[in-house]
Amino acid sequence: MTRDILILCAAGMLVSAFLTVGQKALFTTIRLYAGQSLLLAIAAIAMAVSEGRQHLYVMAALTIALKAILIPWFLMRVIDRIGIHREIEPFLNVPASLLICLGLTVIGYRVSTGFPEGAEGVTHHLLGVALSMLLIGLFLMVTRKKAVTQILALLTVENAVFLVALAVTTGMPLGVELGIAFDVMMAVVVLGVLVHRIVDRFESMDVSRLSNLKG
Amino acid sequence: MNLIVSTLLVPFVTAAFGGLAGGPRRLKEFVVIGGLLVTFGLCVATAAQFLGGVVPSAFDNTLRVDGLSALVLVLSGFVGLLSTVYGVAYLRRNEADGHITERMRREFHSLVPLYVFAMLLVSVSNNLGILWIAVELTTLASVFLVAFPNRDTSLEAAWKFLMLGGLGLAFALLGTVLIFASGQGHLGEGMSALDWTRLMEAAPSLHPFTLRLGVVFAIIGYGTKAGLAPMHTWKPDAYREAPSSTGVLMAVGMLNGALYCLIRVHLISKASLGPDFSGSLLLTLGLLSVLVAMPFLLIQWNLKRLLAYSSIEHVGIMAVGIGLGGEAGVFGALLHMTYHSIAKPLAFFSAGTIAQLHRSSNFDAIRGGTIGRTPMASGLFLLAAVIMTGSPPFGLFFSEMTILKAGFFGPHFVATSIFLGALVVLFCGFVYQVGRLTLGPQPDTGEQPVAPETFDLGAGVTLIAAVLAVVSAVYLPESLIALIRAAARVVWEGA
Repeated sequence: MTRDILILCAAGMLVSAFLTVGQKALFTTIRLYAGQSLLLAIAAIAMAVSEGRQHLYVMAALTIALKAILIPWFLMRVIDRIGIHREIEPFLNVPASLLICLGLTVIGYRVSTGFPEGAEGVTHHLLGVALSMLLIGLFLMVTRKKAVTQILALLTVENAVFLVALAVTTGMPLGVELGIAFDVMMAVVVLGVLVHRIVDRFESMDVSRLSNLKG
Repeated sequence: MNLIVSTLLVPFVTAAFGGLAGGPRRLKEFVVIGGLLVTFGLCVATAAQFLGGVVPSAFDNTLRVDGLSALVLVLSGFVGLLSTVYGVAYLRRNEADGHITERMRREFHSLVPLYVFAMLLVSVSNNLGILWIAVELTTLASVFLVAFPNRDTSLEAAWKFLMLGGLGLAFALLGTVLIFASGQGHLGEGMSALDWTRLMEAAPSLHPFTLRLGVVFAIIGYGTKAGLAPMHTWKPDAYREAPSSTGVLMAVGMLNGALYCLIRVHLISKASLGPDFSGSLLLTLGLLSVLVAMPFLLIQWNLKRLLAYSSIEHVGIMAVGIGLGGEAGVFGALLHMTYHSIAKPLAFFSAGTIAQLHRSSNFDAIRGGTIGRTPMASGLFLLAAVIMTGSPPFGLFFSEMTILKAGFFGPHFVATSIFLGALVVLFCGFVYQVGRLTLGPQPDTGEQPVAPETFDLGAGVTLIAAVLAVVSAVYLPESLIALIRAAARVVWEGA
């Protein structure tokens, strides 16, 4: 049972990553990120139940509070206040992006087989998905122009890292987990403030305009 | 109270005080500088306790000071103090022009001590998880210090810095997770399973594949923070935009801290997988950094970017020293770190003064022959250039020689030859650029009025930095040498 839930969650996260690649509306991408974080939390709970690890409940609660609710709310507020250009304009068109991401998924799954736990079973899927998401996050980061979408790409990478942690270690020690959660929250706030200042100055959050510094 | 805890607490409290609204301005400056002075004192006291034979530790060995930590701790405290004093002077100079708002001043007075706090936390962390958290904190604390001048370009630089830094940190986190995973089954799952000391004890039984992947990710991640090529691209932008006091914190504090992380990861890898794996990785990245810095130094058009590429060169030299290994290579790298930390403030402060007086850091705006207009700052910058390029009799010459010796007597003959060639070109390039700037012909027409040089707090601290940099060439205190030796022992013997 928990096995199925875990695989389902992992698959859902991968799908959400792919949908992010194909999505053009900014608000939807943020919701997709929220959904992806929720799936991560459910996976953590499933793992907590099956392995009997108490601290994973804390991690799941943190994930829901921070990544599924607080961060998406904050990002939406930032966009609302800015209030301009809600469409994403990628450097690369959608079909080509999806094809590349498909390739990245294959690579992710291939690498995951090298792990001692990764050759088969649930962990194989969790790791495969996590590494694929990592690569897709990197891809999103280099192909997106808008400041907020770059933040989302970074957060996708971060979710992927947590999925790796869940797959190979059943979670990091609680103290470290708390510190990391706090840092991630702070980072998003700092990024939000910075986006604000950039928009104030440039009247756009198109980061490809940030190209004066060279050499 | 525990010495480590108080060393960390003082800058933290100072940061909180600096962030308070209102209050007399001079009192705040006094408290911030005083706080950092006490911090430096506590750093020295902690190192002294270590040299006295006690290993200072706190929270069940989560924080622990060995030779390497003690060295980085003292250097961070030193640079934190100097840069804070210069930062206060920088604010005062800009106040006269009316560029500084109350909010900016508050930001500055709280973020600088917070940054120092994070730097010190990096250097005393024995736990890889806490280490990551501390490095992330340094990044967050410095973003608004980079964006501080509030120009279009400073926002761009801050954005690039945060995006690239964030990505690097995500990689470092993945590396940390994988290193943690490689020890599971031997080390359990508690907080202490991420302790560096325990990982070192369990090194032979760590899972090789997982560890290998973890080490690669961690080195790329922390290498981004250190500014090793090819992950260095944030550095020139951030250094150009940040005030010189922040530049020094990044070029010395952040660089030493990130290098500290790299060394810790390298040591785990060395103990478990043998010296070649992470060693050759560091050697490659270091060599690449030195080579990448070369063309950009030669065609450079901006004073502060010039310093950034010089910093990329120096972190490359240190990485090469660690990567070459051998007792000499390691000792050379740590000696280089020490001399570099002592000399760098002079370069940044004098360059900062030149740029501030000319209201630009671009060469074509400053024009040649600055020594005629700002004799003291230019003279000191020239001195800094001589020291930074590793000319004898200054310290960086000896550390570079030590590393070269380690290289030529070791198995990496070709790499060392390339390294030597690059160093020679970098030397010429830096001297050429600085000579052109300070000694070159004066512009004959349209001489722009430059504010006269005054002897203020900033000039005072620059002069102190100059004296220290020169004195360090002939005399290093016995205890500092003992610290470097202790640090080299940690890196060489892993104890």
